[in-house]
Formats: sequence, structure tokens, C-alpha cells
Amino acid sequence: MQLASTPPMTQKLTQNLQRRTYLEGLGLVGTAALTSLAGCTGGGDNSGNETLEILHGWSGGDGQIAFDSMLEGFKEKHPDIDVNAKAIGGGGNTSLDARINTRLNNQNPPGSWTEWPGKNLQQFTNADLLGDIGESVWSNNNMQSAYLDGPKQAATSNGTFVCIPTNIHRMNNLFYNTTVVEAAGVDPSKLNDPMALADAIRTISENTDAVGMAHSTKSPWTTLQLWATVFLGQAGIDAYEAFINGNGDKDAVASAFETLLAYSEQFPDDASTIGWKEANNMFVEGAAGFFHQGDWAAGAYGSDFAFGENWDHVAFPGTSGQYALNMDSWVIPQDGPASKAAKTWLQYVGTKDAQVRFNTKKGSVPPRADVSTGEFGPFQTAQIESLQDSTVQPPSIAHGLAVKPEILTKLKQAVRDFSFTDASVDKTAQAFMDAF
Amino acid sequence: MTDGGSAVSTDEPTLLSNVSDEFLGSLLFWLPPFLLMGFFVYGAIGWNFVISLTETSGFGGVDYSQLDIEQYTRAFGDPTFINATTNTFVLLITFTAVCLAIGLLLAIMMDRKLRFDNGFRTIYLLPMSLSFVVTAQFWLWMYNYDNGLINIIISSLGFSKYQWISNPDLVLSAVIFALVWQFSGYAMVVYLAGLRAIPQEQYEAARTDGANTLRLYQRVIIPQLKGATISASVVLMVFALKAFDFLYSLTGSYIPPKGSDILATMMVRQAFRINNQAYAAAIGIMLFALALAIITPYLTYQHRRGEL
Repeated sequence: MQLASTPPMTQKLTQNLQRRTYLEGLGLVGTAALTSLAGCTGGGDNSGNETLEILHGWSGGDGQIAFDSMLEGFKEKHPDIDVNAKAIGGGGNTSLDARINTRLNNQNPPGSWTEWPGKNLQQFTNADLLGDIGESVWSNNNMQSAYLDGPKQAATSNGTFVCIPTNIHRMNNLFYNTTVVEAAGVDPSKLNDPMALADAIRTISENTDAVGMAHSTKSPWTTLQLWATVFLGQAGIDAYEAFINGNGDKDAVASAFETLLAYSEQFPDDASTIGWKEANNMFVEGAAGFFHQGDWAAGAYGSDFAFGENWDHVAFPGTSGQYALNMDSWVIPQDGPASKAAKTWLQYVGTKDAQVRFNTKKGSVPPRADVSTGEFGPFQTAQIESLQDSTVQPPSIAHGLAVKPEILTKLKQAVRDFSFTDASVDKTAQAFMDAF
Repeated sequence: MTDGGSAVSTDEPTLLSNVSDEFLGSLLFWLPPFLLMGFFVYGAIGWNFVISLTETSGFGGVDYSQLDIEQYTRAFGDPTFINATTNTFVLLITFTAVCLAIGLLLAIMMDRKLRFDNGFRTIYLLPMSLSFVVTAQFWLWMYNYDNGLINIIISSLGFSKYQWISNPDLVLSAVIFALVWQFSGYAMVVYLAGLRAIPQEQYEAARTDGANTLRLYQRVIIPQLKGATISASVVLMVFALKAFDFLYSLTGSYIPPKGSDILATMMVRQAFRINNQAYAAAIGIMLFALALAIITPYLTYQHRRGEL
């Protein structure tokens, strides 16, 4: 045999050459396989499943407790419906949105899921992805007459009802630590406009060891919602409405940033590396006088930091009589799976029972006006009364109720680039105008 | 084959001669996984490329009727993209270079038979085993303006404190520093393996010829670590491209601190926040091209040396 007489060295070389030839062959086959397979784009089919799958973002803390309580109420009323509830956490619904996005693009929507109502829903309604629930859900349980106008408006798209809001968080609270403001000699009830607040927080920084205002700039949404509240207080509701509809006044936008700049001098030095919860802790510990956040922040104030005694709140200066809204709501897809069960779920979340269960634990207030305040604590009762007395309920910008996701991302990027200097005020205001 | 073999030279195997025997026999073993990989990995990349040629955005499916490179031209006119690309390059190159340098230094120290060298090796390697989510929060605390360790150290040395995260001129360096902390241990291990493979005689021979320590490493040892350098740098660069996790965990949003936006964060933002699928796909393809550009010289080098 020829091979047997081949010297070892040559044999090795031959083997090596063979191996490399395989490799080249592999490349050829691979290319062929790719060309034939790359075009295949099969889509999955998930119909015929009667378990109701619902997706939400309350994976921990008071949100989880609130959701579990509501789900329990649903199971008591409808023991025949199997529910597969999936919590997808992540700040600002980031992960939930990504998941919903993927599932809708794969034509595999869940039975129902949570979304911020208002313009946030346009991305879905423009593609006709949400079910019309005017007849099937809104006509039940006296909902049409019981819901407040602001939530009802946010629940519609082009005159069609597409979602059920379950909870309202107020965005224009100004929390204050009574010990700190008293020590500094500041009276929050006398603050009439956002610029007056700038003087008050400077007074706190000068007269006490605390910083004037607790704030986090780690992610842009906290600063964006503070800007929006300042803007509402300074320029008024008409200017606010004009801005969210794309007809904003640049000078007014810039002026709100100047006020923000004045606040920022009294922010904690480490604002950029702490989250809003850490800022909230500073406030609780008396290391800050004022704090602006949605009223979910009050959920962290335990029994030894009592409402009316250790902390209190006023409407953000310039916004008294207004109740700036942030809400969560439930939607169902057009022709989604288990659609009957999904509608039953939506009917349930619109009831008084569901909203009492959810809101008492979440720290928010119900969008129904006919819920008795008996089961709510003193702070929530006060919030419910303010809501029912409010003249307008402007929707939140930072949470996408007032602007669609693309604009919201541009606004957030502009806020991220705002460097809290005089020079960047004009640039950021321009970016805000260009976002629309 | 009774007489067909005469057409093919037996001295130099070619593709055809192999197809006839072992190649076909071995198909069964490698073809199924190869096809699965081809479809789910490379097929998906190919599909992604096709999507990047469309105009897809929002919900409602992909329209393949008109394919063009508009998304790519759009990217090159987009300051956010240019900025993200620059940051990606800076991150990639600085991170890899610094990691290799520190890894080499640590490996040389480890190789000099320290006491407790096993313990040190574990300490240096440990950060790599932590997830980005953990290290990002850890470094947020380290970079805290008031009570972060970094500012405490530099202010005790008499320097003024810095806003490491919110200062756009510093944040990328701060991120690179944190990533170097996490991955230089890996470079150390790779180099250490390379150093241990060098025979003791070469050290002795160099000493006999009168080389001092610096010259010994410069002329004899480090040139032999070329293979280790190349393989470590490829892995490190791939880690650098994946820095998305770290930046995402830093703020909990798809918008990282000003000055630290990279292609990966921009891509996810476009795809899942703004729903610009075609644009996101184009960014993804360019990121992929970047990764290929990094890995191709390595594969070519390996192939040329006959190791692939």
C-alpha cells in the first residue's frame, strides 16, 4: 500500500490537508444551506388556548401586593377561568414594553396586558391592534357614569374605548419633611409659583444641614417629570396642553428649565448615582426638605414617618386645583386569545371591588368617582378628595400619557443631555421643540 | 470505485475525492447541528440584514417589496449614531488594551512564585464571575460623589472630587475602568497559562547571557505570548461589545448617561422603545460587521498557522 510507506511527516501533512479540505467543504455546504433557509420566515400559531394569559409590570413591592389582591378578587368571582399572570419587572415598564413589542410583532399577543393610557396607546391603535371594548366592557358596572372625565378621555382613541384605567397616581405633589421646613422657617403653603420654591429650598440649604430638595438624576424620567410639573405650574394648563399637542412655546419651555436649574443648585451632590428610592430615603431621614415625585413615593413612608406629623404635602406651586395624572390601564388585543375571559377580566378591573383592592395597597386612587373613601388611609382619602375637587387632570408627559413613545424617548434624551448649566437651557428647550 | 479513482490524483486530496468517501459518511454527524446553527444563528442574521433594507417601523409586519440602503445612509447622517460608534470604538480599544496590559503585569507577578498565589489568582478572577447587573450597582456606589470610595480616596490625596457618572467627559472612562476591574483577571489567567508553557531553560539561558529582568521579559518572554494576546483580546473585545448590560444596569433605562451611549444601547432603544425595527436592524448589522472585522484577522491568523 502506498499509505503504509508514507513517512510519518507526510502522513500528518496529508491528514491536515484533508481536514482543511473538509473545512472548505463545510463552508460551501453552509453557504448553500443559508441561501435556502434564510428566506424561511414561519410564524407561530398560538390559538386554541383557553387559559387567560395576562402580562403586567408589578413584580415586587406594593405593586405586587396590590395586583395579587386584585387577582384574588377576580378568582373569587370567576373560579371557572384559569389565569396565567406574568409579572415582568423593570423600571418604567422597560422590560414589559419590550416583551409586548416582541409578542405583538410575532402576532402572538397575550390575553390582556397593562399599558399607560393616552397617547402611549397610539402606537397600537394606529396599527389597529387593540380591541374596541366600548360595548363589551364599558357598558357594564355603571362605568360610563362612574369614571372621572380625565381617565375616560385617556381610555379612548378616536372616540373608541380601548382600555380600562385602574389606578391614578398624582404627579403634582410636593412632599415636605415638616421637621426640616419648620427648622428652616419655610411655610410650604405660601409658595405660589415654582420660582418661589427655588427660594424656599435655598433657605433650607442655608439654614439647616439638609439639602433643599431630594432628587435623582440617574435616569432621565425623574427630571423630565419634575420639569413637566414646573412647566405646568409656571406656564399654566393651556401652555401645557399646547406643548403636548406639538404647539409649545419655546420661551416658556426654557423658562421652566431655568427654574429647574435654580432647584438643581440645592440637589444632593450625588444625585446622578442615586435612584428615586434612595432620594426618597434621604427625604424620610430628614436629609432633604422637599421632594417631588408621584404619590407612589408615599408608599414607602412607614408608621414612624407619619402623614400630617412628620411629612405633609401641597399641590406643586402654581398647580393648585389641578390633579396631574399618571395611570395604569388594561387593554386586550384585537382578535386575541381567550377573548371572552379577557373581557371578563377587564369588566372586573373596572369594578369598585377591584379598584378598592388594588388602590388601597398600591397607594394610588381609583379612577371611579363612586368608590367610598372608607377603606383608604388619611393620605389617600385626601388625595381622592383633591381629585374629585380638581378642575383639570392634565396627563403625565414622563409616563407617555401625553406624548407617544417616539417623542417621549426624544424628550428623555434631551433631558439626559441637559447639563444643568445656563448654556444648555436654550439647547434643551430647542431639543424639546424639535421632538415633536 | 474500480477505475474511477484514476481521474483524481491520490497525492493531493481535493474536495471531489473526499466527497466520494469519508465526507459523505461524516455528514450524519455534523450536518444536523450545522444546519440548526446555520438557520437559527446565521439565518437570523441574514433575515435581520433583509429587514435592515426595508422601511419597517411600528407594528404591522414587514414590507419586503422595496429594498434599499436608506437606513444605512440615515445612520451616517445621524449624530447619535456617529457618537455611539465613536464611543463603541473608544470603549473597545481602550478597554482591551488596558485589560491586556494589567493582565500581563498581574500574570508576570503571579508567575514569580509568590506566596498565596492561588489565593491572589482567585481574588483577581472573582469579579469576572459576577453579573453586570451586580457590578453596575457596585460601581454606582463606588462612583457616588459624596460617599463613594473613589472620591474618598482622591480627596484624601488632596484632589477635588469628581462627578464620575454625570460628567460626560468622564463617564466613558469610568465605565471602562469598571469593566477593566471586572475582566483584567481573565487576561491574567490567559497570560499565566502562556507563561507556564515557556520552558524554565529559556529563563536560565537568558540569565546566563547576562540579560536583566526587564530585558528578559522584553526580548524572550513577551514575544512568546503572541498567541495568548490574540486569543485574550478577541474574547475581551467581544465582552466590550456586550457592555450593553452594564450600561443598562447603570440607569435601568435604554438611555445611558450622557457620553456613554454605544451602538448596542442605541440599537435596543430604536428596536424596543421607538419601534424603528429597520433602523435598529441596520445598526445591528453594522455592529455585527464590527465584530466580524475584529474576529476575522484572528481566524485568518489561526488558519494560516494551520490551527483551524
